[in-house]
Amino acid sequence: MTAGIVAVENLSLRLGAFALKQLDFAVAPGEILAILGPNGAGKSVTLETIAGFHRLDRGRITIGGREVTRLPPERRNIGLLFQDFGLFPHLTVAANIGVGLRRPRRRLPRRSLAELLADLGIAHLARRHPAALSPGEKQRVALARALATEPDLFLFDEPFSALDAQTRERLRGDLEKFLRSAGVPAIFVTHDHDDALALADRIMILRDGAIVQSGPAATVFAAPADRFVAEFVGFDNILPGRIAGRSGDVLTVAVADQLIDVAAANVADGCARAVWLCIRAEDIDLHPSRHAHGAGARLAARVVVLRDAGMLTRIVLDCGFPLQVCAMARHVREMGLTIGAEIGAGLMPGAVHVIPIGEPATDPVAAFNDASEC
Amino acid sequence: MTAAADPGAKPRWARHLPPSHPHGVFLVCWLLGGLLGAFIVVPLLALAATPSAASLAAAARTADLWQALRLSLEAALLAAIVAGLLGVPLAYLLARSDFRGKSLVAAIVDLPLAVPHTVAGIALLLVLGRDGIVGAPAAAIFGLGFWGTLAGIVAAMLFVSVPYTVNAARIGFEGVDPRLEKIARTLGLGPWHTCLRITLPLARRSILTGLTLTYARSISEFGAVMILAYYPMTAPVRIYTLFVGSGLDEAAAASVMLLAVSLALFILFRRLAFGNGIGAMGSR
Repeated sequence: MTAGIVAVENLSLRLGAFALKQLDFAVAPGEILAILGPNGAGKSVTLETIAGFHRLDRGRITIGGREVTRLPPERRNIGLLFQDFGLFPHLTVAANIGVGLRRPRRRLPRRSLAELLADLGIAHLARRHPAALSPGEKQRVALARALATEPDLFLFDEPFSALDAQTRERLRGDLEKFLRSAGVPAIFVTHDHDDALALADRIMILRDGAIVQSGPAATVFAAPADRFVAEFVGFDNILPGRIAGRSGDVLTVAVADQLIDVAAANVADGCARAVWLCIRAEDIDLHPSRHAHGAGARLAARVVVLRDAGMLTRIVLDCGFPLQVCAMARHVREMGLTIGAEIGAGLMPGAVHVIPIGEPATDPVAAFNDASEC
Repeated sequence: MTAAADPGAKPRWARHLPPSHPHGVFLVCWLLGGLLGAFIVVPLLALAATPSAASLAAAARTADLWQALRLSLEAALLAAIVAGLLGVPLAYLLARSDFRGKSLVAAIVDLPLAVPHTVAGIALLLVLGRDGIVGAPAAAIFGLGFWGTLAGIVAAMLFVSVPYTVNAARIGFEGVDPRLEKIARTLGLGPWHTCLRITLPLARRSILTGLTLTYARSISEFGAVMILAYYPMTAPVRIYTLFVGSGLDEAAAASVMLLAVSLALFILFRRLAFGNGIGAMGSR
């Protein structure tokens, strides 16, 4: 297996009314990249372009250290898996895997069919047809089939979207183990956040054929670059605010008539600057008292909506602006929350992510001076 | 192969049932459908019951009737082979590529179904006859004549029956998940190998169904065949001459023979094509 980098440089392509716009990214050996985005963002087209099914208008694709921009799919040395695993229904498991082993133009595989089957624990399935396999078995056969060609890159298109939640979690675990041990870079397309968080080292978010943000999975989920990403990665509260002051790393932001202190070292920015405050519903604490003790902001709030969601309760608070909160049902019971109750909503500074709106001030010193004058 | 080990799946019988069984609807459908079934089966049974044992035996001893039958079967087989060679690639194009005028091509393929068969025969005769734009050079270069020959019979059969092959094969190709072809490509199969080893086998059932229909329709063709080739006589033409010249009883005896042979072949062909297990694709 060639451990080599996968690089996509300046990839541009037009397909009818849709276009991919100058995609630029790389995947290191052994790394797993998740491409996320809403429907129609171009996730699958990106994957298929890397696989060689679309002609680029511009750009360069390198797989396993080899430029493949002009090569047909069969010469790109990739493994492709789809949501229902794409086993050939007319062939047995052994024959499915054999398709990749009998390639005219390829070097001889290092592993024999029997070894592959044994390695993935599917030797007993060799003579079966795909229709008689469980989802887990299908996945292993599909992986074995792709692995048989010793690919330099694995591509997955919505690998689990046809599965129920339990199976999904199990197969995700299997797949991660497999990819980590294979050491082959992988790119997978999904619109499931759990898949992305559980599997991916890095996340890339697409919108209308362009990359809006990419970075380590945890970073993208905690610190979205703009409002679109914030919404997409599941921030329930995205509040319009204005910077009212700063002391050190703590920024004071006015939202409606409340002042909220947040840790926002990244926003070195001017007074009265408009921002989005992004807060996840589960990062808000409920307190019987409206007065803060210790760190963090405490907002005066009134309970407007209480909605039972099993183990959790979804709550809407009125703080002068609506605030979505999600709390353990047990906690809500113990507090004796009722509609109309006057309570405090606690925000730890780290729970709030600040996104500046518009162009930042060009001169950081001026920006700092502006801030201190607030 | 036992039931798939997929605990989440609905039982097979439940997949086609609507939420509540519309018994009244089914009852009416059974009645009307039964009427139609009787309409098809009763005349054929009546035909089979008509000729006496003696006239059947006499028909079975008639050499030229067997010749006509053999000619029908051979010509229909040739028509089905040509339909497969020319019709399956066209069906693949119609299913897998987008081109300008695609719906026009699809309509042209269906055209023979709408043309009265005597009309088709006359049209073919004009082109394939000794003075026709195809018939003249074919005769001059290859010595191939269409009027009153096996080639003419095959041409007439092909014209009226090829739409079945193209349409069935097209549906078959459209039913093959394009993602399977993509996966095959990434596994290292070129476009030709992908087509031959993945797409074609997966569309096999539909293609064979189409060929079977083309074959059956070719055996039964009368109008177009008679205009291009009254002689040598195919079985339907021979039966017509018996009906006109010798009367109903002899015609019925010959008809029963044709019916028996073509039904037997039809059943045999279907068993060969679909009967023996092709594993997961077959129903359990």
